[in-house]
This record gives sequence, structure tokens and C-alpha cells, in this order.
Amino acid sequence: MSESPGASFREFDLFVPTPEHALLAQTLHQFVAREVEPQAAAHDRSESFNLALFHRAGELGLLSVTLPEEYGGAGLDASAAVLVCEALASSDPGFALAVLAHSVLFAQNLAVNGNELQKKHFLPDAASGAKIGGLCMTEPAVGTDVLALRTRAVQSGEDYVLDGVKTFITNGGIDEHTLGDVFIVYATTGPERISSFLVEKGMAGFRLGQKWKDKLGMRASFTAELVFEGVRVPLSHRLGQEGEGTLHMMRNLEVERLTLAAMSLGIAQRCIEVMIRYANERKSFGKPLREHGQIQRYIAESFAEYRAARTYVYDTARRMDLRATGQRIDADATKLFASQVGKRAADHAIQVLGGYGYMGEYVVERLWRDAKLLEIGGGTLEAHHKNLAKDLARDPARVRR
Amino acid sequence: MKIMVCLKQVPHQDARLDVRPDGGWIQEDNIKFEINSYDTYALEEALRIKDAGGAEVVVVSIGPERVTQSLRTALGMGADRAVHVKDPEADASDPLGVAKILAAIAKAENPELILMGLMADDGNSAAVPPMLAELLGFASTTSVMKVTRSNGSLQAERELEGGALEVVELTGPSVLSVQTGINQVRYASLKGIMAAKRKPIDTKSVADLGLAGKVGAAAAKIKIEKIYPPPKGKGAEILTGSTDEIVNKLVGKIKELGLL
Ligand SMILES: Cc1cc2nc3c(=O)[nH]c(=O)nc-3n(C[C@H](O)[C@H](O)[C@H](O)COP(=O)(O)OP(=O)(O)OC[C@H]3O[C@@H](n4cnc5c(N)ncnc54)[C@H](O)[C@@H]3O)c2cc1C
Repeated sequence: MSESPGASFREFDLFVPTPEHALLAQTLHQFVAREVEPQAAAHDRSESFNLALFHRAGELGLLSVTLPEEYGGAGLDASAAVLVCEALASSDPGFALAVLAHSVLFAQNLAVNGNELQKKHFLPDAASGAKIGGLCMTEPAVGTDVLALRTRAVQSGEDYVLDGVKTFITNGGIDEHTLGDVFIVYATTGPERISSFLVEKGMAGFRLGQKWKDKLGMRASFTAELVFEGVRVPLSHRLGQEGEGTLHMMRNLEVERLTLAAMSLGIAQRCIEVMIRYANERKSFGKPLREHGQIQRYIAESFAEYRAARTYVYDTARRMDLRATGQRIDADATKLFASQVGKRAADHAIQVLGGYGYMGEYVVERLWRDAKLLEIGGGTLEAHHKNLAKDLARDPARVRR
Repeated sequence: MKIMVCLKQVPHQDARLDVRPDGGWIQEDNIKFEINSYDTYALEEALRIKDAGGAEVVVVSIGPERVTQSLRTALGMGADRAVHVKDPEADASDPLGVAKILAAIAKAENPELILMGLMADDGNSAAVPPMLAELLGFASTTSVMKVTRSNGSLQAERELEGGALEVVELTGPSVLSVQTGINQVRYASLKGIMAAKRKPIDTKSVADLGLAGKVGAAAAKIKIEKIYPPPKGKGAEILTGSTDEIVNKLVGKIKELGLL
């Protein structure tokens, strides 16, 4: 057999770079078909988070693919996180979002930014799913403009006292009455100084505010407002040094955006499969839909866009070092592109299916509703435009690199 | 207790199959492969015995490099070790050739129980398990639905024609071929996947097994002359009548074909 570099280059599979990724992909494929898909429509309809399925994902290790092995994770890379998010979102983006908020926004964030004691204390339960976590950045009056956040942490003896309100927090609760277990909260500790804290259910003054009902999509994830009223958070619960919050935020936003982009890939993939099948089976004017030029355009364009977005996302994942920053441009750009590809694919799918596409039974209407969130959460399209224009102005050579 | 599970890698059930230009087999380039579905049930049954009372599970497969992927899947699911017979000399073996290779491995491994699928999704011959049992002098039975062990003997529940069940008892080392659907096959957890990285896959050649010249194309007494897709246009029957009539006719057909 030829061992020329040419042959191994051709054989390298960007989407399943190692045997471990291949096995993970296989497990995901089976888990999604057997356990995720059958419950997806019902949880969308009832706007409820499926805690039992979350525990099952924990049992299989799907909540902790990137966490270090010593804390119960698999120690895999960004490509593995991307595989998980893409596969889950191909069936149930709402559930995928809850998993992402827990594993990427909370656990992976803590794994990179926490100290040994904090990791030992919180990560094993996060890996198994015994405790559910989330990240609190957004506030009622502050979203894109994160550095203007108003939640305050004031040191008082051995504690910090936290006051403020966070909103739109995924996993903020697991149902209407039950707070999520543990959160990383960004708060100001002085002018232009943001610090990160671990806040746990049970701390006095920490409670569930309103539950956001009637979301457009992502209804299988629970979105809540969280209220902090004089919450005493011990020093041991501060991540890193005071004032390092912005750095933590920036480090985590890269993998957050990349995995959110992966969710859009999952949505696009499913929508394209639905379109292809339907256009083969459904006939109009005496021929299958796929023989009508306008239908061909929906399928072909979505396919080409999906493959382009997928390649970009997985290539960025391949290069991403989860412990370092430096991929902000590609993290912004992958999400900017993939989120729109996902939304367009869902829109095309509804169009190809006509009236049936508008009906819940055919799944794509749910994916269409879910797809929109990815143009908002974790950075709006406009935030990506702003970051990209700024970063590229600073480093124009990046275009060719 | 040591259990040997034989796995065959076959084209993925979603793969698009095209016949090779020479008609001798299907085109294998650019298609995905997976473990023969029957074999996955055999593996699951072995892993259940392991979970229940402890056993070493050794998986064996014959085939090119791509077969490692299936062996890794089995290791990720919980098998302990793998043996991979990777040798072009083994290509185009007939069922007896395959049985000889597996028998050579079984002689070295000395398992008390060999579990395998009733047949392969691709070849459909169902010939290897009984041949293997004969070569080894093991007890054997086919189409097993359930395996239980008590007092040193093995009880196997078998499926008979028309769905009836039969229980047989086997004494001594045995070869069982299992039906599909007998259990819910597990998937590899991340823990299993990461543990599989450290589990050994032992590679053997035909010569290592002392079978040079005795298996493979040259030794095969059965050769595939050609394969071809069935001619189109036959076999479909359209039922007519009211919904109730159609349903009744359909149920009748299903019963007639023994599918119910
Ligand atoms: C379902 C869901 C789940 C979420 N989960 C979480 C979570 O777990 N944790 C968390 O912290 N947050 C979460 N969010 C919040 C999300 O990240 C924010 O909604 C997002 O960052 C946008 O902030 P905003 O809603 O305040 O909008 P704003 O920032 O007020 O933006 C409103 C509009 O103005 C535009 N805009 C703002 N500034 C500029 C500018 N400088 N230039 C041009 N245009 C601008 C925006 O792009 C947008 O179009 C979630 C949101 C949703 C809907």
C-alpha cells in the first residue's frame, strides 16, 4: 500500500479525525435515533426540559467529552464537542442547547478558568449530569454590550455580596419551580472590572425569577431569569483573580460560538435530508418534485452551503486549542455563516414540503423555529459583524492565513 | 470464562450498492461498513454474560484494515481484546475457509463459548457457525434467542419455523449462532471509547495460524460466479377494495408468508 503524504492527506477525515471521534459519532447516531428523536416533538410542544434524557446523556459521557479525564470527562477536543452538538441538534436543537449551556458554557468554562479545588468539587457532578449548570452573562438591560453589565459583587470580609438580575439563562431552572444547580456568573467588581463567580442553588438570596414562556423555538430548553439579592458568595467561589472575568468570557466565547455553529449544521443536515426524500417521493405535474428547477435550487444551494459551513466549522475545531484564545475571528465567522445556513435550509425545507412543511409532524417547522435562535444567542449576527470588522482591521493579513 | 465473539464487517445498511464491473462482488470503494447486525446481538449477549458474572470477551474479525474500526467499536462497547486476521491470503475464502481461520484462533484462545450471528447480512449463507463447531468438535446450535447458564451447562432457546420456541441444553464448549432482535444492543459510552484506546488488537496473518495455502481464493471450493440485481417488474401486487377489505387481504398475506 502506498504511504505517500498524498494518500494520507486524502484519507484524513476532517469530520472524524481519530478512531475515538468515529466511535463517538457512531454512539451519537444511535443515541439520537433511539432516544432523542422519539421525545423531541413532545418536549417542544410542552415547553419542558427532559431531565431524564439529560441524565442518560451524562451516563453515556456525552456531557463531558472535552472535560479532563481526571474529572470524569473524556479529554477530547473541540472536534468532539462539535460532533455532539451537530448530532443532537439534527434531532432536538432545544435539548442540544441545554446540553451546550451545561457542558460548554459552564463545565468547559470552569475546566479552563477554575482552580484545582473548584474543578474537583464541581466537574465530576457536571460530567455525570448529577448537577446541571449554566452561564449568566446577559441581563435585562445588557446583552451585546456585555462590558456594561450591572450585576455587582462587593467584597465583604471572606465573601463577596452579589446583587443583580440575569436573564435568558439556559438551564436557569429545570422546571417552573426548580432552580438549576450551579452557575458561572459574570459581575462587576469595580469600574471596567468584571470577575467570575460560582453561584450555587441554596445560597441565600439566589432565586429563580420569571420563566420565559412561549419562546419561538428551543422550547425543550428552559430559559429563565435569575435573581441575586445580597447573595454571599465565598472567596473560594471566585474564578481566577478579581478582574479576570473578561478574559474568561473571551476564552469561553470561542468554543461557545463554534459549538452553536455546529448546532446550525445539525439543523441544516436534517432539513436537507428531509428535502431530498420528500422531493423524490412527492409528485406534481406528473413528475417528482426534484425534477422541477425551482425545487432543485433549494436542495442544491442548501447542500452546498451546508458542506461549506461544515468544513469551516470542523476545520476551525481542528485548529482550536480549548485552553487558549486566538480563534476569535473564525469563531465569530463560523457562527455568522452557519447560523444563516441553518435557518435558510430550514426555510427551504418548508418551501419544498409546501403545506406539509408547515405542519409539526414533518419536523422542519420546529427546526425552522429553533434555527432563528442561533442568529441571536451567544452573539447576534451584528455582534459577529462588529467583531469581525474590528479584528480584521487590526490584522488584515489574516485574510490570507 | 472466556467467550469468543466472531464479527464480520459488512456494507452499511444505508450504503448504495453497485456491482463490480467483473460481476464478482460489489464495489467496495467509497461505501461505509458496519458490523453485521446479527453479530452485534451476539456481542451484546456476550457482554451481558460478562456483566452478570464476569467473563473475558475476545472479538475476532477477518478482513482488511477497515475492519479495525468494527473491532474498536466492539472494544468500546466492552469487549476486552481483539484479534484481527489481516491478510490478503484470506480474501475470497469460502465458508469453510473462514471456519478454518476461526477454528485456528479458537484453538489458541480456548474459549468455553463462541457466539456469532446466525448469518451475515451480505452473504446470507449461515454456514460458518456449524462448520466451525464441527472443526472444533464443539456442541452447537443455531438461531438462538436466549442464552442461560446453570451448573456447567448451557441452555439455549431457539426459534423454530413459524415462531415456535425450543429449549436445548448443550454440554461442554459450544458454538451458538444468534438471531437478530434478541436483546437491545448497547452503544459505546465515552468511558468505553476512551478505554478501548488502551485495549490490544492482535493482528495475525494466515501463515501465523498455520493455514498458508489452506484458505483464501485458491483453496475455496465455492466461488462466486456472478452477482446481479434481480430483474425489475416482478413481485409487486396491488391490493384493491375498501380500506377494511385491503386490511383483511394484507393480514391474510402476512400470515400466508409466515411473517406474523
Ligand atoms: C433562548 C435563549 C437562550 C439564551 N441563553 C443564554 C445563557 O444561557 N446565558 C446568557 O448569558 N445569555 C443567554 N441568552 C442571551 C443572548 O446571548 C442575548 O440575547 C444576546 O447576546 C443578545 O442580547 P440582547 O438580547 O440583550 O440584545 P441587544 O444586545 O439589546 O441587541 C438588540 C439588537 O441590537 C443589535 N445591536 C446591539 N448592539 C449593537 C451594536 N453595537 N451594533 C449593531 N447592532 C447592535 C443586536 O445585534 C440586536 O439586533 C439567551 C438568549 C435566548 C433567546
